[in-house]
Amino acid sequence: MMIGSKVDFDINDLYIPKDVKEDIDYQKSFSATLTIIVRDKDGNVIKRYKQKSHSPTANFIGLMIPLTWYVNTGNSWTFKNTSNSTFSYESSIAMPGFGMGYPCSGSNHNDYIVNILVGSGSQSNPYSAYNLNAPISNGSGTGQLLYSSISTPTSITINGSQAYFIISQSYANQSGGTITISEVGIITYLNFTSTTNTTTTPGNTLMWYDVLSSPISVGNGQSVVIYYTFSVNA
Amino acid sequence: MLVSEQIPKEDLDYILEPFKEDKEEDNKQIISEKIIAVVRDAKGNIIDKREQKMKSLTEYYLALMSIPILATYSNPTSNTATSILVNVLGLSSQQYSSDGNSSFITFDTSIQVGSGTQSFSLTLNSLGAPISNGSGIGELIYYSQSVLYTSNSVSQILTVSNNSGNTITVSEIGLMGTIYIAYGNSSGNYTTQPYNFLLSYDTFSSPISIPNGGSASFQIIITFSG
Repeated sequence: MMIGSKVDFDINDLYIPKDVKEDIDYQKSFSATLTIIVRDKDGNVIKRYKQKSHSPTANFIGLMIPLTWYVNTGNSWTFKNTSNSTFSYESSIAMPGFGMGYPCSGSNHNDYIVNILVGSGSQSNPYSAYNLNAPISNGSGTGQLLYSSISTPTSITINGSQAYFIISQSYANQSGGTITISEVGIITYLNFTSTTNTTTTPGNTLMWYDVLSSPISVGNGQSVVIYYTFSVNA
Repeated sequence: MLVSEQIPKEDLDYILEPFKEDKEEDNKQIISEKIIAVVRDAKGNIIDKREQKMKSLTEYYLALMSIPILATYSNPTSNTATSILVNVLGLSSQQYSSDGNSSFITFDTSIQVGSGTQSFSLTLNSLGAPISNGSGIGELIYYSQSVLYTSNSVSQILTVSNNSGNTITVSEIGLMGTIYIAYGNSSGNYTTQPYNFLLSYDTFSSPISIPNGGSASFQIIITFSG
């Protein structure tokens, strides 16, 4: 069809006019913020830190690609879990279909947020990151932090021209020494299924990753809480 | 489970406090959105070209983005959906599956254009005056939409033609989202339950005229940092 071929030409990026002035005052419609608050053993705030978060991983992007791409191209997306194992995913609603497990009265294949993982390393390419560079494990031994349960939102909050949701997690340092946090990531447990229970389970998967502009030190006996805020702005 | 309302007020005030200074590296966008429109006359000649930044994501886009982060289950052991899926998107907390098999979720997107204008709100759920599919008065023929993915960018492309007999003016554009929950139904077959949302809404800086016999392509490009 003529229209189709014309469109193929029109969408060629080389052809698109580039004379549109960049709107440098453009209000970002989506933003994410990382906030960290350190408290002493009595609960008094001793440090507050905030930076803009930047980094969805390839795993995240794969889940933001619509069904039409998978159906029309026949392509699949490769997810990589925190153990560096790969899993092929191709969304479909042609029965029995394939997608993320959803709560139901039948056979359940749970997928859920696991935690905000903290680490003491860094890496420069968040897109391809599949785990933190040096995760800090859960515990009270040397180099460890005690992870509390992840806190999740009950809804999206609308406050004036902003809509947002917050996830958070707190950590206590009972290691006997100072712990330094320099990287943060969101881990989600992925579980794909068809309606006939054919499953692919990547399990723990890094969806979001940030290196802190300034590492945060948490002294022995102190605690720290990390908040991720995701928002859109009118 | 702790919820956002239980965040200490002093923490929440600090979380929501605007950044006092914008460092250059902070201005890197996580998601950037762009709209491109190309209009042709009946002979196929380009008569108008537009490129503008997309500015208006709704709370439903934020809810869609919650799925890769929060996933769909409220926790590892409860067979109920996350609060955002239930409270914002109106999805079932638990999908009934008559055959005892599993249920899953996926989503799709499409572009819709309209001839109206309206103030943006975060809870907007439709265009002001959607242009319907057809060749009658005030209608445009919508062709199958396509999605491209290259270098962290997802491009949604809609082509329309105008066989209405008159010029059609397009003044607004939206990215629609459909979430599908697939499950076994009471007839012993599998089916999908669709839920529709407006993910973004923008008006063109000046309306786009598509002459009778002409066509237009609209492209929404969402680029993720990475």
